[in-house]
Amino acid sequence: MGNWYRVGAEQDLGTPLVAGESLITLSVDGMEISVPEGTSIMRAAALAGTNIPKLCATEDLEPFGSCRLCLVQIEGRPGYPASCTTEVSEGMAVRTQSPRLAELRRNVMELYISDHPLDCLTCPTNGDCELQDMAGAVGLREVRYGYEGKNHLDKTKDESAPYFTFDASKCILCSRCVRACEEQQGTFALTIDNRGFDSQIVASQNDAFDQSECVSCGACVKACPTATLTEKSIIALGQPDRATVTTCAYCGVGCSFRAEMQGDQLVRMTPNRDGHANHGHACVKGRFAFGYATHDDRITAPMIRDSINDVWQEVSWEQALSFAASRMQAIQSTYGRKSIGGITSSRCTNEEVFVVQKFIRAAMGNNNVDTCARVCHSPTGYGLKTTLGESAGTQTFDSVMQADTIMVIGANPTAAHPVFGSMMKRRLRQGAKLIVIDPRATDLVDSPHVRADQHLQLRPGTNVAVINALGHVIISEGLEDKAFIQQRCEVDAYEIWRQFIAREENSPETLEPVTGVPAAQIRAAARNYASVPNGAIYYGLGVTEHSQGSTMVMGIANLAMATGNLGREGVGVNPLRGQNNVQGSCDMGSFPHELPGYRHLSDLATRTQFEKAWGVKLDAEPGYRIPNMFDAAVDGEFKGLYIQGEDMAQSDPDTQHVQAALSAMECVIVQDLFLNETAKYAHVFLPGSSFLEKDGTFTNAERRISPVRKVMQPLAGMAEWEVTCALSTAMGYPMSYQHPSEIMDEIAQLTPTFSGVSYELLDELGSIQWPCNEHAPNGTPMMHVDEFVRGKGFFAPTPYVPTDERSNNKYPLLLTTGRILSQYNVGAQTRRTENMAFHAEDVLEIHPSDAEVRGITDGAWVGIKSRAGETVLRADITTRVQAGVVYTTFHHPESGANVVTTDNSDWATNCPEYKVTAVQAYPVSNPSEWQEMFSKFHAEQGNFLDQRKRKKPVTTQS
Amino acid sequence: MTVQTDKLLRMAEQITANMAYTDDTEVVAEKIADHLYRFWDPRMLASLKAYNKEQAESLSPALAAAVQRLERAPYS
Amino acid sequence: MTTRVYVPSDSTAISLGADAVAVALQDLPCDLEIIRNGSRGLHWLEPLLEIDTPAGRIGFAETKAADIADLFANGAPAIDHPNCLGLVEEHAYLKPQHRLTSARIGLISPCSLDHYRSLDGFAGLEKARNMTADDIVQVVTDSGLRGRGGAAFPTGIKWRTVLDAPAEKKYIVCNADEGDSGTFVDRLIMECDPYCLIEGMLIAGLAVGANEGFIYCRAEYPLAITTLQRAIDTATEAGYLEGFSLQVRKAAGAYICGEETALLESLEGKRGLVRFRPPLPAIEGLFGKPTVVNNVISLASIPIILAKGADHYRDFGSGRSRGTLTVQLAGNIRRGGLVEVPFGLTLRQLLEDFGGGTASGRPIKAVQAGGPLGAYIPADHFDTAMDYETFKDIGAMLGHGGLVVFDDSADLGHMARFAMEFCALESCGKCTPCRIGSVRGVEVIDKIRSGEQPDDNRILLQDLCQTMIDGSLCALGGMAPFPVQSVMKHFPDEL
Repeated sequence: MGNWYRVGAEQDLGTPLVAGESLITLSVDGMEISVPEGTSIMRAAALAGTNIPKLCATEDLEPFGSCRLCLVQIEGRPGYPASCTTEVSEGMAVRTQSPRLAELRRNVMELYISDHPLDCLTCPTNGDCELQDMAGAVGLREVRYGYEGKNHLDKTKDESAPYFTFDASKCILCSRCVRACEEQQGTFALTIDNRGFDSQIVASQNDAFDQSECVSCGACVKACPTATLTEKSIIALGQPDRATVTTCAYCGVGCSFRAEMQGDQLVRMTPNRDGHANHGHACVKGRFAFGYATHDDRITAPMIRDSINDVWQEVSWEQALSFAASRMQAIQSTYGRKSIGGITSSRCTNEEVFVVQKFIRAAMGNNNVDTCARVCHSPTGYGLKTTLGESAGTQTFDSVMQADTIMVIGANPTAAHPVFGSMMKRRLRQGAKLIVIDPRATDLVDSPHVRADQHLQLRPGTNVAVINALGHVIISEGLEDKAFIQQRCEVDAYEIWRQFIAREENSPETLEPVTGVPAAQIRAAARNYASVPNGAIYYGLGVTEHSQGSTMVMGIANLAMATGNLGREGVGVNPLRGQNNVQGSCDMGSFPHELPGYRHLSDLATRTQFEKAWGVKLDAEPGYRIPNMFDAAVDGEFKGLYIQGEDMAQSDPDTQHVQAALSAMECVIVQDLFLNETAKYAHVFLPGSSFLEKDGTFTNAERRISPVRKVMQPLAGMAEWEVTCALSTAMGYPMSYQHPSEIMDEIAQLTPTFSGVSYELLDELGSIQWPCNEHAPNGTPMMHVDEFVRGKGFFAPTPYVPTDERSNNKYPLLLTTGRILSQYNVGAQTRRTENMAFHAEDVLEIHPSDAEVRGITDGAWVGIKSRAGETVLRADITTRVQAGVVYTTFHHPESGANVVTTDNSDWATNCPEYKVTAVQAYPVSNPSEWQEMFSKFHAEQGNFLDQRKRKKPVTTQS
Repeated sequence: MTVQTDKLLRMAEQITANMAYTDDTEVVAEKIADHLYRFWDPRMLASLKAYNKEQAESLSPALAAAVQRLERAPYS
Repeated sequence: MTTRVYVPSDSTAISLGADAVAVALQDLPCDLEIIRNGSRGLHWLEPLLEIDTPAGRIGFAETKAADIADLFANGAPAIDHPNCLGLVEEHAYLKPQHRLTSARIGLISPCSLDHYRSLDGFAGLEKARNMTADDIVQVVTDSGLRGRGGAAFPTGIKWRTVLDAPAEKKYIVCNADEGDSGTFVDRLIMECDPYCLIEGMLIAGLAVGANEGFIYCRAEYPLAITTLQRAIDTATEAGYLEGFSLQVRKAAGAYICGEETALLESLEGKRGLVRFRPPLPAIEGLFGKPTVVNNVISLASIPIILAKGADHYRDFGSGRSRGTLTVQLAGNIRRGGLVEVPFGLTLRQLLEDFGGGTASGRPIKAVQAGGPLGAYIPADHFDTAMDYETFKDIGAMLGHGGLVVFDDSADLGHMARFAMEFCALESCGKCTPCRIGSVRGVEVIDKIRSGEQPDDNRILLQDLCQTMIDGSLCALGGMAPFPVQSVMKHFPDEL
């Protein structure tokens, strides 16, 4: 199973696809071809099977016309126009080959080579160099100028960036890197310095790459046709011999990649041009940070121990599974059927998630299943299901390219969803307007060629007040789309909402003292969003991770419905999902109250369908959510937990409570790549497999199901789905699948929105956006087109209920938490890569005035204390945060960011309120008590691992 | 009071506050009851019901009304 | 009785001491009205002092501050002074000229609206204001005016393209980045008759529906920039710029920024990098909007075309080259200056009748016409008529009308090398033939000149020239070989 391509098979048609309406017919070397109007001659020729020599042109970038290799002759036109920059016209007769063209191209190539090192045999891109290819293609046989002339051969190599080198001596000034940085990535880190022959590519103000604005997205490296910009992995290992298309395992963008291999060694990850989510672009994580997959810290043998105070013992899979099964069964017989449960992972495949929830429901016989999406996007599920009828984003990513106003709420796409962030920036550079609602000045607020029209810099915790004020302006100024509301929404519910929102308590003027946002700015933003043809909303965890997260999601949906911004390209309500498979893990029935496809357990017909297929009786009542499990564990009622690929001891709020809960359990089974923080509290460790080691699918933020393909054998011998099935079997409910495709077949059989999905269809289409069924055989890019999934759209009233977590004399600052570009979630993966060079520790951002009154200096240790706990970080004094607000990330376990966050959570879903914690900050000189305890515990558990009793080595047969 | 009950009460009151966009206690109580029934583990509901039997007066009126509804059909 | 005295104030006259002359005049005990006019473009006579008399303005050549006392020794101008030229209008250099575009230079005080209006200023604009856009474009088309920056593209057709391009926003951009060797007429217009350019741009705006304009002026023309700014401020105050925003932008100091697409990039605040065409600037120009990009002389010719009608202008000239050409005589020439004449005069007439041969007195060996990228024309071609087509026939070009004269002591092999060197220095670096080719061109010429495999290298040089001509992205790389080829052809012993 899986598509295998030869390396180099990714054809480059030279210039981007043009979606022209009418077709133009021309002849290329006598062969007729019809292409859309606006297509370049180069692309038309390539489609006709003729590859015109080129160096500065690539399908990923706009044509540039600088290399002059692609010159052609056109009947009736003078000269030798460049085929990349010349558009086709009706009846045009193009000659791509003639003696004069051959001579011209050879002469141009001769000029290139007169200033290029002749070290092809020892060059890292030998075999993958367009300059080399073109020299061959044009038949260059001599360089009459000699090699003694002026040249750049003595330029030094910049090796400062972690993942690639820049060798200016090999640069041919095609500008592809500069253009990739501008057009694809939107960072504008590269430029050309000087002019003429002295032109040179430089980063920022002629800085070393690691000191420049470069974000290591790798677009320039991919674009480079020579060895000038080369991956260090290629320099070290040489060229790959094959490539497999797969899907990135980092964020919810779900970029498609070609995993380029030598044997079972991953040499390079290259963004796939045919990728429907990323169109050939990538970020530093997916492109380069894959070293963790084969890191020495990987644990590849199952381990067990009696108590968490014991040394680990390596055992066989059989022993580990039987140990785990008997412990869980013993707990059930002592404490009852519902005393155990399990957690699915948003990092695992859909198939793995499905199998885990099936295992819990069928083998454990209860609904104590939850997913890490609980702590990120559960309010999205609740809010969008309530208002629109489906727990998912409404659009494709590409839709943003037709938005006229983009509203970004509580999201930092250039850091957390970089590839989509770049697409959004491209649209903004084309002139779309931008509203940013965020307590911090994120990159989008003000970066090269992008500036927010309105930045509503609200006080943390006042989202709902802001969204209500926006709704109030729309209603009171008559900016609503009456026809849309009339036709598409429940009119009674709308009327209730309208009366609610029109109340004076929701006016921007009344709410200004609450939100801290000037009323005039709110009014301007509301007009901006409501008065353009297409207004699109994108939001992230800054919306959901609040005590009113679900209210806010509904408020967003209300705003979109009231302005008619749903059901077509360029509009919509779009959650930006944190992890690679948040959408999928939710789709797969990971919640304690829902079966796959968001169907409530109480629905008899659905339940019966599953009972028949699985041959078991299902519990009809909801089980525990993650926080409920912890509370019950502390109370001694919940004793056993199976955790697949989640590190709640680091990622979940109120760490000390989580630690107490984990310590109180009798059987904690952790399945992971590494001995993570949670595993330090485990009794059974089942080694996991990386995304490179298994087949499956991930579903991204646009409901896109994309294939994950195995490129190497699981290091531990089994993929997660196989282990889960074996554990289920050991617990008395046999599960067996030969291949994940069979699991997908079962998902399709049992889930109406997935009924058309199969691996065959995925291979054919590349990816599929659900719903995919008899109504939409190739999937559904856009939702709610003619009617909402729930029929009529539902306006839910959204009263603003302030959080209990308020600043006071004792805790005068509000802490909010977030992400940075180079690290991912708890950092388990990215901390085990060179990304550490970008972000080696979590820091506390604090406003200069808050720092000054506390005597906190930049870079000094600062204590942060909340009612939940206390930790110590270094201070980063910055105006990115407003006065009264501090900010940090949680990528490093020893930072203890979640020691400080509280058990407050969303009223509807219990999604934790990571974004608002009242704290005090003060200069300190020592780590906090928790940190000292952490390091002691860490050292102790490290010893338990280091001293683990090794299994006898398996002798390999010769 | 156990960790659970303490938190359950806080969560239930939080739900109540967020449902209270109207003064009509009946409407609000119905919404609360429906929410609790759909999303809470029966053990959590049992704790809440038990608490309500003993100290209904310490719950907000809409919540108390909602918990009472949970004793009846269609919830029970 | 007050005597009116004119002291030129353009860069040439000032560099030759005109300001000191003005000061000296102020210090005289005579009743003088001193007017700082522009220059008439008779450069070898500057500072050319003029004094109003009942018969007309009489001139005094090469006036120094020290001469002033003598000139007015009797309280009245000394018409018997050896430097006295008599009536300036009757001067042999000026009288045969047909000054249409440069009609007012030297006659008026540059920023005086009264002076400008007194000599038909704004007559064209007034006419245009009562015409439809379509009719204005038609008049310009009918006049036969072709772009005077060098490309000679019909102005009316360019305007028509912009007029027909549907867009909410359009621009008028004046290319005043005059960088060709031996040229100065743009500067003369801007320094001596700025309203003429402004009027031309206003008419262009009416013609194509543009309400914003930029003058991209050579950074090395500080006086032109301040004069234009003063004129814009004054015209704005007087209401002439109602509905049209006009700004002067100081250029980036690169020859390539005179290339219209690089100019647009520079005006947008980017590197002066050449854009590929199409799209034409007329369709996607400044900030992606339809844009008229015209040279100063093209735009400054518009007012008289509108004022006097298309026929009046078209009736000058020869063949397909209509109207007048503002020829600039420079280099090794006795009488350097501006000569505005109808197309069709021979090169010899310009060089000998107007120019008076070389300044050194030696025979003319060659003339480089049309800037640093123009061919070297040998003496046996001097009877060629000066119009676009005839010049093209001999492998030369008129360009912006600059003629740089060399006497028989010039080393044309060195001048060929200089063409490549100039190209290497000024190349934007975007396209390969120009970026690398020009550097290799210098190296190959050096090899030929030092006798290193001269035959092989001559073949290579020919090959390189043809590669640059056929392969370059813009005219810089595409034309830099012209002077080289002309030397190889006409002066084979020198390269």
